[in-house]
Amino acid sequence: MSMMLLAQACATGITNGLIYALVGLGMAVIFKGSRLINAMHGELAVVGAATAVYCVEIAMWPTWLAVTMGMLIAMVLSTLVDIGLVRRLFNRNAREESFLLLTVGLGFTFSAAVLYVFGREEHLLPAFGDEIYEVAGAIIREQTIWIVGIAAFILIGLKLFYKYTDFGLAMMAASIDPDGAATTGINVRLMRTATFALGGLMAAVAGLLVTPMIGVSYQMGPILTLKGFAAAVLGGLTNPLGALVGGITIGLLESLSIVYISSGLKDAVALSVLIVIMILVPDGILGRSGRKGG
Amino acid sequence: MKYSGYILLAIVWLALPFVLERHAIDLLVFCGFYAVAGAGVGFLLGQGGIVNLGQAAFYGLGAYSSAYCTVQLGLPAPVGILTGVVVSLCLAFLIGRPILRLSGYFLALATLALGIICSNLFYEAEFITGGTLGIPGVPKLSVLGFALDTPTKFYFLIWPVAVLCVLSMRSLMSSRIGLAMQAMRDAPEAAMVLAIDISRLKLWMFLISSVLGSVAGSLFAHYVGFVNVDSFGVERSIFFLLVPVIGGAASPAGVLVGALFVGLVPEALSVLGDIHRVLFGLALVATVVFFPDGLIGLLKRLADTCIPARRQALKMEQSR
Repeated sequence: MSMMLLAQACATGITNGLIYALVGLGMAVIFKGSRLINAMHGELAVVGAATAVYCVEIAMWPTWLAVTMGMLIAMVLSTLVDIGLVRRLFNRNAREESFLLLTVGLGFTFSAAVLYVFGREEHLLPAFGDEIYEVAGAIIREQTIWIVGIAAFILIGLKLFYKYTDFGLAMMAASIDPDGAATTGINVRLMRTATFALGGLMAAVAGLLVTPMIGVSYQMGPILTLKGFAAAVLGGLTNPLGALVGGITIGLLESLSIVYISSGLKDAVALSVLIVIMILVPDGILGRSGRKGG
Repeated sequence: MKYSGYILLAIVWLALPFVLERHAIDLLVFCGFYAVAGAGVGFLLGQGGIVNLGQAAFYGLGAYSSAYCTVQLGLPAPVGILTGVVVSLCLAFLIGRPILRLSGYFLALATLALGIICSNLFYEAEFITGGTLGIPGVPKLSVLGFALDTPTKFYFLIWPVAVLCVLSMRSLMSSRIGLAMQAMRDAPEAAMVLAIDISRLKLWMFLISSVLGSVAGSLFAHYVGFVNVDSFGVERSIFFLLVPVIGGAASPAGVLVGALFVGLVPEALSVLGDIHRVLFGLALVATVVFFPDGLIGLLKRLADTCIPARRQALKMEQSR
C-alpha cells in the first residue's frame, strides 16, 4: 500500500514538475532575451488558460480553436507589454527594481481582470484524452502523457532554435551584448519583442496544459511564477535542460512532502528549497557547464 | 511662511476626525498601518534598492505575538509588542544574513518566497495562530490609562507613530550611515572601496524594516481585536511594497502619500464593482512607467511650476 502511495506521489510530482518546468522555461526564454525576470509569467499562463475556457464554455468554440486563441491572446498581451511599457523603461535606463515592479503590477492587473471576467470559481478545460493507465500501482491519466510529450518537444525545439537558427542566435546576442549586436546589424528592440512574444506563448502553453487537471482560477498566478522561477533557478536559469530537472525536482519534493510531512506545507518546502539553492548553488544544480548564453 | 504648508496640513489632520464619518476614519487608521509597515519597505527600496516582497511575514509575526501574549498568556500589551519585535528581529537576522547576499531579482523573489512560507506556517501552526479561525478578543490598547477604543482615538496614535517613523528615516538618511547607504545603492563597488561594509549595512536596513513591519502588525491586532491568516498573505506584502512605489521611494514622506493612496483609492474605486482591482493595478503600472519618483515627485513638480515663490527659488538655484 505504501509503495503504491509512493508511486502515485512520484507520478503526481513528475506531472506537476513538468508544468513548473514549462513555466520556468518560459521565464528562462524571457531572461535569455532581455535579462529581465518576468514576474507576471504565471498570470500570463492564467490569462491564456482563462481565454481558452471562455471560448469553450461561453462562445462554444471547438477546443482546438479555443486553445489556439488562448495562446494567441497571451502572445499578443506579452508583445504589447514589451512595446508599450518595457521599451519605455529601457529608454529611460530604468533600474532592475523598476522592471520587477512593472511586471508585478501587470501581474496584479491581469489576475484582477481574470477575476472580473470569470469570478472566483475554478474552471476546467476538457482533457486531451480520457484514458487511464496504471504503472507500478500508480494511476496515470492520458493528459500526463501529453504533458510529457509536449514538454519534450518544446525542450528540444528551444535547444535547436537557440543553437542553430540565426533568429535564435540573434535573440540571445541582442540581450548579452546589445551594442555589439546592434553593430552587426541585429535589430535589438525587435529581438526583445520577439522574445516577449515567445515567452507569452510558452506561458500560455503551460497554462493550457495544467488547466484540464487543476482548474484555472484568478489567484494561481504568483505561485506558478514562483515555482517556475524556482525550477529555472534550480537549473541555472538559461539552461533549458536545467529547468526540466529543476521542475521535476520541485514537483517531487512537493508531492513527497504531502505524503510525509503535511499537505499545507508543500509550498513552504518547495520555496525553502528555492532559497537554499539560490544561496548555495547560484549556477544551478547542473553547474556552469550546461549553461549557454549568459 | 516657510512652514505654512506643514501647519495647514497639521490643522487639516487634527480636524479630519471631527468632520468625517466613522467608516472614513477607520480607513485612515488602516492607512496608518500601511504607512508604518510601508516605511520599512520604502527604506529598503529607496535607500538600498532592495525590493522586499515579504513584509507581510513580519506584519503577521507582530500581530500574532501581540495576540498570543495578550489573549493566551494574559500579558500586558507592551510585552506583546516587544515580543513581536524580538521575534521579528531574530527571523530577520537569521534569514537576512544568507538571503541578503543575493541581489536584484533573486533577492526580491527570495523575500516573496519568505512571505509565502510564513503565511503557510501561520496556517499550519494552529496551536499558536488558531489557523483559519484566528485569535479573537485581542484587548484594546490603552495609553496612560486612556483606552484607545474608537477609530478616532486610535487615529491620534497611529499617525503620530507613522510621522515619527518618517522623521527618523529622514534624520537617518542625512547621517553618516544614511550617506553610506546611498553610496551603496548608487555605486556598490565604490562604496566597498571606501570601506563601507555592505552586507552589514544591508542587514541593518533589513532589521529596521522588519521592526517597523512587526510594530505595525501589533498595532493592527490591537486595533481590530481579531487576527487570522487572511490578513498576512502575499497580496498584503504587495500592498506594502506599493506604498513606497506609488508614493515615491526616494523621499521618506512619500510613504505617507503612498499609504493614503493604497488605503483609500481601492475603497473609493470599489463603488465601480470588481473592476476596481484592474484600475488599481493599472494605476500602479502607470506610476512605475510614467512617474518614477512617485506621487510625491509629481506633487513636487506641480508645486515647482504652479507656486510662484517656489518657481522663483528654483530659477535662482539653477542660475547659480
